[in-house]
Amino acid sequence: MTPAVEIKGLYKRYAGGVEALKGIDLVVGQGEFFGLLGPNGAGKTTTIGVTTGLVRITEGSVRVMGYDVVSQFRQARQLIGLAAQELNFDWFFSLWDLMILQAGYYGVPAKIARKNAERLLEEFGLSAKRDVKVRALSGGMKRRFQIARSLVHEPQLVIMDEPTAGVDVELRHMLWDYLRRLNKEGRTIILTTHYIEEAELLCERVAIIDNGRIIADGSPAQLMAGIKRDGLSITVEGWSDQAAAGLDGYDYTFKDGRLQIKVVQPERRLADIVTRIAGTGAVVHDVTIDHASLEDVFIELTGRRMDD
Amino acid sequence: MISTGFYTFVTRELKRFLSLYNQTLVPGLLTTVLYIVVFGKSLGSRIGDIKGHSYMEFIIPGLAMMNAITNAYSNSASSLFQAKIMQFLDDILITPLSGLEISLGYIIGGAARGFINGILVLVMGLLLTDISLSHPFLIVVELLVVSWAFGAVGLLVGIFAKTFDNIQLLVNFFLTPLVFLGGIFYSIDMLPPLWRNISLFNPLYYMINGLRYAVLDIADTSPVVSFLVSVAAAVIFTLAGAILFSRGYRIKE
Ligand SMILES: Nc1ncnc2c1ncn2[C@@H]1O[C@H](COP(=O)(O)OP(=O)(O)OP(=O)(O)O)[C@@H](O)[C@H]1O
Ligand SMILES: [Mg+2]
Repeated sequence: MTPAVEIKGLYKRYAGGVEALKGIDLVVGQGEFFGLLGPNGAGKTTTIGVTTGLVRITEGSVRVMGYDVVSQFRQARQLIGLAAQELNFDWFFSLWDLMILQAGYYGVPAKIARKNAERLLEEFGLSAKRDVKVRALSGGMKRRFQIARSLVHEPQLVIMDEPTAGVDVELRHMLWDYLRRLNKEGRTIILTTHYIEEAELLCERVAIIDNGRIIADGSPAQLMAGIKRDGLSITVEGWSDQAAAGLDGYDYTFKDGRLQIKVVQPERRLADIVTRIAGTGAVVHDVTIDHASLEDVFIELTGRRMDD
Repeated sequence: MISTGFYTFVTRELKRFLSLYNQTLVPGLLTTVLYIVVFGKSLGSRIGDIKGHSYMEFIIPGLAMMNAITNAYSNSASSLFQAKIMQFLDDILITPLSGLEISLGYIIGGAARGFINGILVLVMGLLLTDISLSHPFLIVVELLVVSWAFGAVGLLVGIFAKTFDNIQLLVNFFLTPLVFLGGIFYSIDMLPPLWRNISLFNPLYYMINGLRYAVLDIADTSPVVSFLVSVAAAVIFTLAGAILFSRGYRIKE
C-alpha cells in the first residue's frame, strides 16, 4: 500500500542559515496514528511545513499518498488537512464564512460544504459562535475552530501541529477522543507534540526528532523496550544466597533489603520471580513495577531531558 | 480552468473590499466631489475651456483614472500584505491552489475595486457636469486594463513589502507624482517643450489620455498607443507578480 507520507533525505536550511532538518527519512503508513515527538526547535513544524507546501525544500523529497508535494502539489494538498501550531485567522470573516471559504478552496461542492461546516461547528461546540469573527473567540475556542476548519474538506491525512498546546484538560481529552475517532474511521493522523504522555497514549508509532534528525522510530512499546529500563523493585526480608541462586538468569542487584530486577514486560515475569524468592523462605513485602517512558528513551538517546 | 477553489478565492477578495466599502469605495468618491467642486467650479472658471471642454469636464477622466489606479493598487497590496503579516496567508498556501491562481485572485480583487472606483467617478461626473460618454465600450476596457495593471503592481509591492509604510511609500513617492504629472489637471500641450518631452516617458500619461479619449473624444496622444501602453503594463506586471509569487519569494520560507 502506498504510504500516507514518505519523506526521503529531507534537508532544510532556512534563509538565515539555520539547518532545521538534517536529512530526515520517514514513512507513515495509511491509517496510522503517528506521533512526531521532540523538544522545542527540533524541526517538527518544519517537517510539517515542507509536507504541506509552506516551506521550500532545500534537498530531498516528500510524497503524500504517492504524490510529490512539489511537482504534484494539487493532488498532494487536496488530501491533507492541517491544523497549524499558530492560531492565525483571516480576520475579515465569521467562523461560518471561513468554514465555507476553506471548503471552497478545496473544491468541495457548496451543499456538502454547508453540511460539513454545520456538523463540525456542532461537534466542536462552536455553533453558537458561527456568526462572530475569530478575534472574538477565547484561546481554546480558536484551537477548536482551527481543528474543525482543517477537517471541512474531509482530508485523508490529518496533520495536527501541537493541537493540545495550552489547552485545558477537558478540551485535551475531547481532542484525544476526537482524533481517535477520526483514526478509527480510517484517516491517517500525524500529531506533533512535546507532551510525552500524549504520544504514549495516542500513537501507534512515534518518531523522535531532535536537532533536525530522527533519533528513534517505532511503536512506543518497542522504543521503551529498547532501552531496558523496565523492571521490578521488590523489598525482600530474609534474603539469602539461596534466594540469589534462584534468580539465576535475571539481571538483578540487591541492596539495603531491596531487590532491583531489569526485565522486559515485568508484569509477566512477576509471578515467576516472586515464586522463586518465596520458595527460599524469604518474605516478599512490596513490589513496584518500573516502566520506561518515551522520556527515558529520549534521555537515553540524547543525554538530555526533553523539556530542558 | 475556473476551478471552484479559484472562484472561491476571487470571491473572498471581492467580499473583503465590498464589506469595507466605507474605506474602499466612499473615500474616492468624496475626494472626487471635492476636486470637482474646488478645481472645477471655483478655479476652472478662470482657466477656461481646454480642447472644447470646460475645465471641470476635462479633469474628470483623469480623476477616474487616478481613483482606479490608487484603489486597484491599494487593494491587492494591502490584502496580500495583511495576509502575510497576520500569517493567514498560510491558509491559502496550503490549499491546492497554484501560485498563479492565488496571484490572479489578488490581481482580480484589485482590478475590480479599481474599476468600480473609476466608474463611480464617471457617474459623479455625469451627475455634476455636462459630460457625455463618447466611447462607452472603450471606457470599460481602458479602466479594466489599467486597474488590472495596478492590481498587479499592488501584488508585486505586497510581495516585497516588509512594513505597511513600504506600501504607502510607493503611493506617496511614485504613484501620486506620476498621476499628477500624467496630465490629470492639464493638457501637456500647455507645458514647455522640455516638460512635455519628459511627460512622454510617464506611462500614466498614456493611460489618462486613453480614458480621456474614451470619455471626451479628445486626447494629446494616439488612443491606440495609450491602449497598448496600458496592455503592456498589465502584461508585464502580471507576469512579474505571478512569477515571484509562484516561486514563493518572500512568501514561503
Ligand atoms: N522561518 C524560519 N526562519 C528561520 N529559522 C526558522 C524558521 N522557522 C523555524 N526556524 C528554526 O528551525 C528550527 C526548527 O524549528 P521548528 O519550528 O521546525 O521546530 P519545532 O520542532 O516545531 O519546535 P516547537 O516545539 O517549538 O514548535 C529552529 O531552530 C527554528 O529556530
Ligand atoms: Mg513547532
